[in-house]
Amino acid sequence: MTTLERRYRRLLLAYPRQYRVAHGDELLDVLLESAAPGQSTPVLREVWGLLRGGVRTRITHQATGTAWADGLHLGVTAVSAVNLAALLPFTGSLPLWTLLSVLALLAVMHGWTRTAFLLTLVIGVKAVSIAGGWQPLDLTLLPVYPSSLADRPLFQSSSPLEVAVGYGVVLSGLAVLAWRRHRPRVRSWWWFVAALAAAWAGPSWLPEDTLFPISLSKMAAEVVALGLAVAGAYLARDPRWALASGIYLVVTSADLGLHGDQLTRQHLAYWGVLVVLTLATAFAPYRQRRHALD
Amino acid sequence: MYFVLTALRGGPLHGHAISKSIKELSGGRVQPSVGTLYGILERLNERGVIAVDREETVNGRNRRYFRITDEGQSLVEAEARRMQEAASLVLRPTTFASLVRRLTA
Repeated sequence: MTTLERRYRRLLLAYPRQYRVAHGDELLDVLLESAAPGQSTPVLREVWGLLRGGVRTRITHQATGTAWADGLHLGVTAVSAVNLAALLPFTGSLPLWTLLSVLALLAVMHGWTRTAFLLTLVIGVKAVSIAGGWQPLDLTLLPVYPSSLADRPLFQSSSPLEVAVGYGVVLSGLAVLAWRRHRPRVRSWWWFVAALAAAWAGPSWLPEDTLFPISLSKMAAEVVALGLAVAGAYLARDPRWALASGIYLVVTSADLGLHGDQLTRQHLAYWGVLVVLTLATAFAPYRQRRHALD
Repeated sequence: MYFVLTALRGGPLHGHAISKSIKELSGGRVQPSVGTLYGILERLNERGVIAVDREETVNGRNRRYFRITDEGQSLVEAEARRMQEAASLVLRPTTFASLVRRLTA
């Protein structure tokens, strides 16, 4: 294997495995045939083309299977990640419940809908109980104080109803997916990274004394995820990302709505960004074709 | 996409031959990277505008030959007609312009 072939093979990793197995060698053949004699470094144009082509193929490969079921599963995964993010800073005080929440997200990501439903139900009951100050399952010292990831006690600014909305949406979605008896696709491990980013309380961008804080890292994770959803909807002309983004927006809007009297202009700007990105996922699949071959 | 379909009007070709043909047809102006070219080929294939004619193994590597379908043929011809009509708006002398030219001559 020449140096050039080895470098091109590395660049082909941008493509999904399935595509690489089927057509990777074919692309490599054309790349090597187009190369100048003695060339050992990939041309910049080809590098950019392979990276763009790989990302595009990865996105369009997601648009397979039933759109509504896949969109529902994606939305449920996103809300599950946020549910986990709420508990992560309190791992020291609630190790068992955080572990169960990690397992619940893992089960959602792998499409084990029944297991995910049971785990989410148990964690949901516990989370709502903590928010309401009740002790139905086990004794927990309240308030639950945070670690370095958060700056205030667990659910200090959340009502039981608000916590129940997030878990209720996940449970409803999982019930529909379980009833369908068709295992959803396996989701990326990046959802755990997103949950970690959403769990971190800093850097702060809202006033110190705000009663309903939203961290910049959580907002960044949301913008990245919704941005990818817009790209997917645009490239694949598929509505599944709109459904997933819509589910997430409903949960976030309910969260904000229940804090109606504590919202600042920054909160509304944050909500506006989420609405714009969600609308973009809804309209992108129906964009006008520029020409007959577009 | 237009050049890909134009290249395939001459008969089935594999990726490298399509790339060379596009370069020739465009006088060297258009030279898509391999990643871009295969992205276009996959999309056209999914839409049924082109199809895989046959597969061969060369140097131990698989090579697909693509051919244009009837739908692709109609699409590229329609696109050529559209571009010809658009070009004629600029290149054909208008009645008013020719009248001015005649008056100022």
